[in-house]
Amino acid sequence: MESASQPALQPGMEPASEPASSRFEEVRVSGFGDFCGAVEQRRDKTIFVYFTGDKDAEGRSWCPDCEEAEPVVLEGRKHIPEDAVFIYCQVGDRPYWKDPNNDFKKKLKLTAVPTLLKYGTPQKLVESECLNASLVEMLFSED
Amino acid sequence: MSFGYWFCLPTFDLRCSRVSCVWYHWVPGAVTLSPEQPPPMPSNWEQRRCFSAVPPPRTAPLLLSTPQPLPADPNSCLPSPPAGSRKTIQPEPASKEDIAQTLLRMNGSNETPESYDYDLIIIGGGSGGLAAAKEAARYGKKIMVLDFVTPTPLGNRWGLGGTCVNVGCIPKKLMHQAALLGQALQDSRKYGWQIEEEVKHNWERMTEAVQNYIGSLNWGYRVALRENKVTYENAYGEFVGPHKIKATNNKGKEKFYTAERFLIATGERPRYPGIPGDKEYCISSDDLFSLPYCPGKTLVVGASYVALECAGFLAGIGLDVTVMVRSILLRGFDQDMANKIGDHMEGHGIKFIRQFVPIKIEQIEEGMPGRLRVVAQSTDGKETIEGEYNTVLLAIGRDSCTRKIGLEVVGVKINEKTGKIPVNDEEQTNVPYIYAIGDILEDKLELTPVAIQAGRLLARRLYAGSNVKCDYDNVPTTVFTPMEYGSCGLSEEKAIEKFGEENIEVYHSYFWPLEWTIPSRDNNKCYAKVICHVKDNERVVGFHVLGPNAGEVTQGFAAALKCGLTKEQLDSTIGIHPVCAEVFTTLSVTKRSGGSILQAGC
Repeated sequence: MESASQPALQPGMEPASEPASSRFEEVRVSGFGDFCGAVEQRRDKTIFVYFTGDKDAEGRSWCPDCEEAEPVVLEGRKHIPEDAVFIYCQVGDRPYWKDPNNDFKKKLKLTAVPTLLKYGTPQKLVESECLNASLVEMLFSED
Repeated sequence: MSFGYWFCLPTFDLRCSRVSCVWYHWVPGAVTLSPEQPPPMPSNWEQRRCFSAVPPPRTAPLLLSTPQPLPADPNSCLPSPPAGSRKTIQPEPASKEDIAQTLLRMNGSNETPESYDYDLIIIGGGSGGLAAAKEAARYGKKIMVLDFVTPTPLGNRWGLGGTCVNVGCIPKKLMHQAALLGQALQDSRKYGWQIEEEVKHNWERMTEAVQNYIGSLNWGYRVALRENKVTYENAYGEFVGPHKIKATNNKGKEKFYTAERFLIATGERPRYPGIPGDKEYCISSDDLFSLPYCPGKTLVVGASYVALECAGFLAGIGLDVTVMVRSILLRGFDQDMANKIGDHMEGHGIKFIRQFVPIKIEQIEEGMPGRLRVVAQSTDGKETIEGEYNTVLLAIGRDSCTRKIGLEVVGVKINEKTGKIPVNDEEQTNVPYIYAIGDILEDKLELTPVAIQAGRLLARRLYAGSNVKCDYDNVPTTVFTPMEYGSCGLSEEKAIEKFGEENIEVYHSYFWPLEWTIPSRDNNKCYAKVICHVKDNERVVGFHVLGPNAGEVTQGFAAALKCGLTKEQLDSTIGIHPVCAEVFTTLSVTKRSGGSILQAGC
C-alpha cells in the first residue's frame, strides 16, 4: 500500500514535554513497508508499536476503538524507557484492514486495531485492553 | 437458663473500616443467654472457619459445630428469627461494631481488623495460586500474588504461571506432540503422502515456538491479574511474623506486607541426588524445555512420569535415549500398566538400565551440548558401569518449596521428612488463617486441575459463602509417554487392597486403533482395563487405558465414574465406531478367566 505522507501533529497527539535527548525515540509510519523499514533500522532496540486505523484530514480514524484508545496510549508513553522506540503506525484504510490477506494480518499476525505491542515478544494489548491505563503502563514498563 | 438454640453469628468484611455486610449463619449450640451482651462462644464449639473474619485466637481455635447445610445464596443476609420460637431464640442483636469488637477482644488480638494491607496474600503464582487469586478477586477482595522463580543451578528462570505453564504440562505436551507428529509423518507414507527425503527435526525451532507460546501465557496471566485488580509482585515471599510477610525482589529490595489470610501455593522443584557433578553438569525438567541447543544423546535418570515422558519425546524426535531406573517404573501407578508402558518404550528403541543409580558425573568436553561421563552403581552395590552422554536429565523426584518460607516463624506444621504440608479438608493448615493448596499438600494428587479446583473452591468458601469442598476422589490423570496412559480411580493393587482380590473383577482387552492398521503399527499393544467391585453392583472403581489420545478418552469416563458407573451401565452403552474408546463398551474377558484378549483386527 502506498504510504501516506507523514502526518503533522494531529489534534489529540501531544508532543512529549521532556527534552528530546533523554526521551525515547518516537517514529510515525504509515503502511506495512514503512513499518518494516522503521523496525529494521532499529533492530537492537526495544520497540513498542501502536497500530491504528488511518486518520482522515481532520485527524479522525475510521476505527472508533482506536479513537478511544489513543489518548490512553499516548498518555502511557511517559512510562516508556528512554532508550526504547515508540512507533505509531497507521495500518491503512478500512477496506484494506478488512481484507484478511493484508500484510499486517498475514505477516505480523495482527488480529485487530488498535493493537499495542512490544515487538518481538508475546506482549501485546488488543482493542479494549488498550483503554486500560494500568495495562498500558504494564506493557511499557521494564520487565 | 440455658437451652438449645440456633446461634446467629455475624461475619463481615474486615477490609472496610466500618462493618459493611454482615452475613448471619445459623449454627446449633447451647449457651446461657444474656440479653445484655452477645452470647459468648463456648470452647467446645467448632468455629465455622470459612466465615471467620476474626484474627486467630492465641489459644486453640474456638470451634463451632456445623452439621446443617447453609443457605445456598452466599450473599443473603439472613434475618433474625422471630422472637418466641423455641429453636431460634436470639437476644436483641448488638450493633455490628459492638459484635466485631467483642469477638476481637475475646480472641485476644491486638491488631484491629482495618489495619491489614490485604485480605489475602498468595505466595506462589502457579496453577493453584492464580486460580485462587482470580476467583477471590471476583468477590471484590484485596489480593496480592507473590511469584518468584529461584534460578535453576544452571541459571534458568521463567515468568508468571508456575510449573505447569513454564516447565511442566504445557511444554511437555507440546514436545510430546512434536514427537507424535514425527511418527505421523512416517505413517503418512503408507497413506499415500509422498515424502521423499528423510524428515529431520530442528530442536531450536521447536523450542522457540514452545517458549513463544509460554511467553504469551505468562503475559496473559499478568494482564488477567491487572484487569482483576490483583496486585502482583515478582518477589520471594516468606513469613516474618503473625499475619506478616517479607517480599524480596531479585535486586534484593525488601518490602513488608500484612494480610488477614495467607495461601501457600509454592509448589515444588526438581530434586538433585547429591552426587559429584549433579548441579554443575546435569539438567532437570526446569532446564529442558528452554534448552538453547539440542540435548543429543541423553541419559534420563528416574522412573517417574516426568522421566518417562521426557525420555519418550526425546526419543520420538530422533535422539538416542537411555533411561536409568533404580527400581520400579511409575511408583504409585498401576504396575501392570507401568510395565506395559516400559515394554512399549523399550520396543521402540529406548534403552533401559535397570537397578542402577548414578554416583558421579564428570565433564569430558564442554559444549552445547558437551560430553559427560556417567559412573553408575547397581543397587546391590556389586557392579559399576560407565557411559558417555551429551546430556544427563535428572528426574528423580520433586521437593516442596516449604522449608525456606518462614513457616516455623508462624508455626505452620510441615512433615519434616517430606516437606509437605498437612491440611484439613478445607485446605487449612494448623494455623487457622493460613491455607495451602497444590503440589505441597500431604497425601494429595500433584496435578494442575486439582490445585485449580482447590484454589477456586477455597476462595468461594472464604469469600462467597460456599461450603463446597474439593473432591479428591476419582481424579483422572494421563501420562503422556509415547504410548499414552489414561486412568481414573483405583489401580489393581489398590483395589485388591481395599476390597480384597475375591471381590474385584478385572475386565480387559487389547485393541488395535484403526488408524494403525494401514501403517502396520503395534497390534496387541493398546490395552483397556476396568476394575469392578463385585459386591457393589459391579461398580467401576478403576478405569485404565493405554493407547492414543488416552487423555481425551479418559476425561468422559471420569465423569461416568463420578456418577457411579457400573459394569452393566458400561455394557449397555453403545459404542462409537470406529474409535478406540468403544472397546470399553464391549469388555467381556476377565483376568480371572485367563481368557485370551489378543486381537486379530477389526
